[in-house]
Amino acid sequence: MSDHGCIHLNNFKAAKGIQPYKVIHSFFVTSTSNEARVRKAVSCLCHTCKSYKDRLHSCLHCIFFGCYVKGHIQEHAKTKKHFLAVDLCYGNILCFQCGDYVYDRELLVVAKAQWSETAKSLSLGEFYRTWEPSLYEVELLKKNPRRRRVVENSTIGLRGLINLGSTCFMNCIVQALIHTPLLRDYFLADRHHCPQPNRCLVCEVSSLFQEFYSGNKAPLILHKLLHLIWTHARHLAGYEQQDAHEFFIATLDVLHRHCEQYSQVAPLIVKDNPHHCNCIIDQIFTGGLQSDVVCQACNGVSTTIDPFWDISLDLGPTAGSGGPSSGLSKEGGGAPTSLLDCLERFTRAEHLGSSAKIKCNNCQTYQESTKQLTMKQLPIVASFHLKRFEHSSIQDKKISTFISFPEQLDMTPFMSHRRNGNNNSAAPNGLHKNGEDAAFSDNRYSLFAVINHEGSLETGHYTAFIRQQRDQWFKCDDHLITRARLKDVLTSEGYLLFYHKQILEYGRNSKV
Amino acid sequence: MKTSPHQTLVKAGDRDGLKELLRRRLVECGWRDEVKLICKEIIKENGQDITYDALLAMVTSRARSRVPDVVKKELLQKIKNQLLAQEEKLKLT
Ligand SMILES: [Zn+2]
Ligand SMILES: [Zn+2]
Ligand SMILES: [Zn+2]
Ligand SMILES: [Zn+2]
Ligand SMILES: [Zn+2]
Ligand SMILES: [Zn+2]
Repeated sequence: MSDHGCIHLNNFKAAKGIQPYKVIHSFFVTSTSNEARVRKAVSCLCHTCKSYKDRLHSCLHCIFFGCYVKGHIQEHAKTKKHFLAVDLCYGNILCFQCGDYVYDRELLVVAKAQWSETAKSLSLGEFYRTWEPSLYEVELLKKNPRRRRVVENSTIGLRGLINLGSTCFMNCIVQALIHTPLLRDYFLADRHHCPQPNRCLVCEVSSLFQEFYSGNKAPLILHKLLHLIWTHARHLAGYEQQDAHEFFIATLDVLHRHCEQYSQVAPLIVKDNPHHCNCIIDQIFTGGLQSDVVCQACNGVSTTIDPFWDISLDLGPTAGSGGPSSGLSKEGGGAPTSLLDCLERFTRAEHLGSSAKIKCNNCQTYQESTKQLTMKQLPIVASFHLKRFEHSSIQDKKISTFISFPEQLDMTPFMSHRRNGNNNSAAPNGLHKNGEDAAFSDNRYSLFAVINHEGSLETGHYTAFIRQQRDQWFKCDDHLITRARLKDVLTSEGYLLFYHKQILEYGRNSKV
Repeated sequence: MKTSPHQTLVKAGDRDGLKELLRRRLVECGWRDEVKLICKEIIKENGQDITYDALLAMVTSRARSRVPDVVKKELLQKIKNQLLAQEEKLKLT
């Protein structure tokens, strides 16, 4: 069926324009205001049988409401010769002369705008709509009829990386980035438009994605990438083993700075992140960490929010908890054994002690205080760094304790509004007035990459587990790629853990 | 006139919110894609000119049975909560 409507609808539009449709839509289909919602609640009943369901339609000619299931709208159409009706659930147009629903491009645009209006008036994020190709994209698809279909056991996107000395620290980070779903989508969709393609690191990453998904299976050599990173992050230059975590952060930073330089591209998903940058790196990796410092004398709170790209988690026993011998310490001390332990500890209020008095903004005196870190805004990709390497003046050592981490992670308990326990905690299941925020906010993540450091501090080797498709895990050990089980992933030591948000929001309210 | 639970939810905008939540959940769990595929198949078999009513008749029961229990449960819980919250509000005013 075309989207040019039908002759009957076209005649109607020629005579009365789009206004009748718009009015019905804004009052009875989407309800773009509170007033409209009240009218809808009271009057949207079948005029014949008083039902509010059964596929209620409104006559487009005279705003008669009739249900379809019991034939009341049909009856009206026949007796009054009003042959066009609007479905009140979805806003589609039914033409009784054609005997079916008809699509009309012009009215679809009206409907779309109304949906956005409603979302705004209810302060929900943008309503989800599936992607529809524009006319230009339809042309492109027609011109390029070859499609690649990803089947279940496909090895698409898997390629080994040659080790150029001791560059496994780079290889494993590249593997993790290549298999970051949103980053992959960004680059495979050709979103990076570059004025200076020769020396641009982002372009290099972009072509790297093309290489990984080209179908060629030979291991890649990352000469150019390494060279570009060396020139942009000099402290990483040289062939000796580097810390994968440091490399990860440096890479994000270099990419961010490159994007920033040339960014005129429209924002993709998140408009405002705590880093105030719209580059793809910040859209995906940046979250906001809230720090609340509470004065012990006056209870005054000073709050700051800082951007973060990853969360570094301590693995040693809690300082000052007295160790395991003190038994049931109030602080719940001892060393953490799971990622959840680590996060719980990370977001726990911590007493800063008498030697660290801070000037309180409220009472203007130097006082003891407590400090608590919580997640104000979650990133799309949550990266956790387990601090396995301890560097001190006496010795450097590696902590190899087993820290369990889940495949599915819910970050809700570590959010600022939850952890601080001051606001809204009484609302049942979080659906507050007009379904604000918490109603839809879903903070579940799933694991998609794990980087491991095998061996000792001196002779270590980095490898990565990556999720290529749902439930399909692979181990990347430089040029070797082997299939892995989820169990292998979850029982590995874990140095860097990458989680991807399961549910993405489509546009956000600008109020923070 | 007594307002029905349905009307209460429409008035407060909760119905639109819940409807959108349901829509999102169905997209997220792959239900939408599944049903789309079923529809495509039916259209292939019956030809382009199949009417909406005919398609609906063939797809409804299959589509309904594919809605995951967790989604139903979540929605039911949320509807209950909303109605209770509205009731609280009425008591207060
Ligand atoms: Zn009726
Ligand atoms: Zn009429
Ligand atoms: Zn027609
Ligand atoms: Zn570039
Ligand atoms: Zn940036
Ligand atoms: Zn104070």
